[in-house]
Amino acid sequence: MPQIKIYQEDHIPSPASRIWSAFTDNPFAFAGLWAVVSLLLLALFGPFIAPYSPEHQDPHALLLAPSWDPAGTVEHFLGTDDLGRDIFSRLLHGAHLTFGMALGIVITALFLGFIIGSISGMMKGLKSSILSHLLDALLSIPSLLMAILVVAITGPGLSNVFWAVGIALTPQFVRAIHQAVHEELQKEYVTAARLDGANPLQIFWYVILPNISDTMIIQTTLGISAAILDIAALGFLNLGAQAPSPEWGAMVSQGMDNLLTAPWTVTIPGVAILCSVLAINLVGDGLRSALSPIRN
Amino acid sequence: MIRYLIRRLNLFLATSLILFIVMFIAVSKFPVDRIAALTGVQQPTAQQITRITQDYRLNDGQISQFIAYLQQRLDGDLGLSSTSQNLILDELTAVLPASFELGFFAGLIAVLFGIPLGVLASLSTNKITQHSIMAITLTGYSIPVFWLGLTLSLWFGVQLGWLPISGQINLLYEIDSVTGFLLIDTLLSDSKYALSAFLDALQHIILPAVTLAVLPFTVVVRITRSAMMTIMEETYIKAAEARGLHTSTIVMRHALPNAFIPVLKNLGLMLGAFASYAMVVEVIFSWPGVGAWLVSGIYQRDYTVIQGGILSVALLIIFLSILIEIMHTALNPISRKELYAAN
Repeated sequence: MPQIKIYQEDHIPSPASRIWSAFTDNPFAFAGLWAVVSLLLLALFGPFIAPYSPEHQDPHALLLAPSWDPAGTVEHFLGTDDLGRDIFSRLLHGAHLTFGMALGIVITALFLGFIIGSISGMMKGLKSSILSHLLDALLSIPSLLMAILVVAITGPGLSNVFWAVGIALTPQFVRAIHQAVHEELQKEYVTAARLDGANPLQIFWYVILPNISDTMIIQTTLGISAAILDIAALGFLNLGAQAPSPEWGAMVSQGMDNLLTAPWTVTIPGVAILCSVLAINLVGDGLRSALSPIRN
Repeated sequence: MIRYLIRRLNLFLATSLILFIVMFIAVSKFPVDRIAALTGVQQPTAQQITRITQDYRLNDGQISQFIAYLQQRLDGDLGLSSTSQNLILDELTAVLPASFELGFFAGLIAVLFGIPLGVLASLSTNKITQHSIMAITLTGYSIPVFWLGLTLSLWFGVQLGWLPISGQINLLYEIDSVTGFLLIDTLLSDSKYALSAFLDALQHIILPAVTLAVLPFTVVVRITRSAMMTIMEETYIKAAEARGLHTSTIVMRHALPNAFIPVLKNLGLMLGAFASYAMVVEVIFSWPGVGAWLVSGIYQRDYTVIQGGILSVALLIIFLSILIEIMHTALNPISRKELYAAN
């Protein structure tokens, strides 16, 4: 059947395209999105484009300054550390450790938090408050303390960081999703759906879920930036990634010995962490302001 | 209100109980001898073994063991540190005040500078001022605290040589511990160097406190700004404007008290992250607080220190966050109204 345009009206954008255009109106958020996309690509393909392997030691280029310094060479673009390892290659190899693991942790925490939070949010009374407050004790243990506890039990290592940061993040997701579901349940359109005879599962899936997705998106961006900072802090304290690992926080702590003679070994990984977290926060901020006219 | 307070107390007790259960399970998973994990006694004599087995009811079932564990811990018996063989409780009372001092100073800096800047950001119509304040806060929010600490100490401590970068006070000063809070102790001390010791301690606290203050500062600025922007649209502000009040009066008397309420709430939510940051800052600046103590505890695999530290810090955070929630309810008439409406 041919579509005939009866009305002379303008095209009415769908909610998703409206959010997208509100998001792209903010140049900072859009720049952040580009940075996040390129970080994602680096996390996936970084090891392939890195000029050296992360453990490759060049005995002729110890503590070489970055290439913009008169003493530096362009072979080692960001300089080398005290063992002659190329910092640029290590950063590229570390991207999937720091950024990729943060993504993995947040996806796991989001999945668990979504299940627990939506069940406890849909329930009422004592059962709901037990489920939602059960994790409050975990919420009160700071992520670093949780990591110390996990390390005390299993010993340091990158896989333990996954558990430590994941356990510390999950309660935040549970709480955010619980509150969002709980708030939506009070609204009149949910009552209307209930009067139409929808069962709780239908109410949750078709009525509430589309309306809490923005909370989940915002919480996810917050979670990723928190996870990156936590992973890096644990690497810095030597509780997470161990010495030869090119994880960015561990790189800062390995550079600490040469802080005075070769400050770039500390500065460059630190700037990498700062830039990636900043990019994610820019995207998160942009999303929040793009979503807010719809939320209110 | 009483009913609300009882419910909060209930929440505190329930959360603490869960925390103790988590710790009890964790202790049984520590890769050391159970007696050493519980008490920190490394080579117990036969006599000690019988006493500890009796105290912790190690021959009974898990539930009875947990009750015994709870009793011991609530009696204030946190065991011995397995490396120094001192009582954990004594070590804890020695390190906690230093952390409080640091946290208090950092919070003070954050609130003193954050609220005016947030108000400024909300009131200014200049796009450049608004954008630059938001850019600064977003950067501050994204900066890794250990890197910031290192950079600040490299810059102000080493290259410019303005401020000391490690410890709480110059070791030349001998200050008797009265309250445990060094800044108060130096003032109380009757030595003739009291004033210079106080100034020295003050210099030592600046860098760590500023490093730690960055996170709460950015949060305070952002929350104050968004709260002020909503409040300035309210009708009672328009009424105040219509009465011809000066902008400063409107902000100080009508808007700011209301803007403070969400700030307080967010400060409560931020406590956990703040504690994590404080631990890292203490490690970087060798601040003799509970964070540095705990981190050295994990390096030495001192399981009683880990237990004692985690229990005390987590209990403190639970307590403080519930306290802030109660203050929030007491200050905020709207949430009080919800309180009466809720079941």
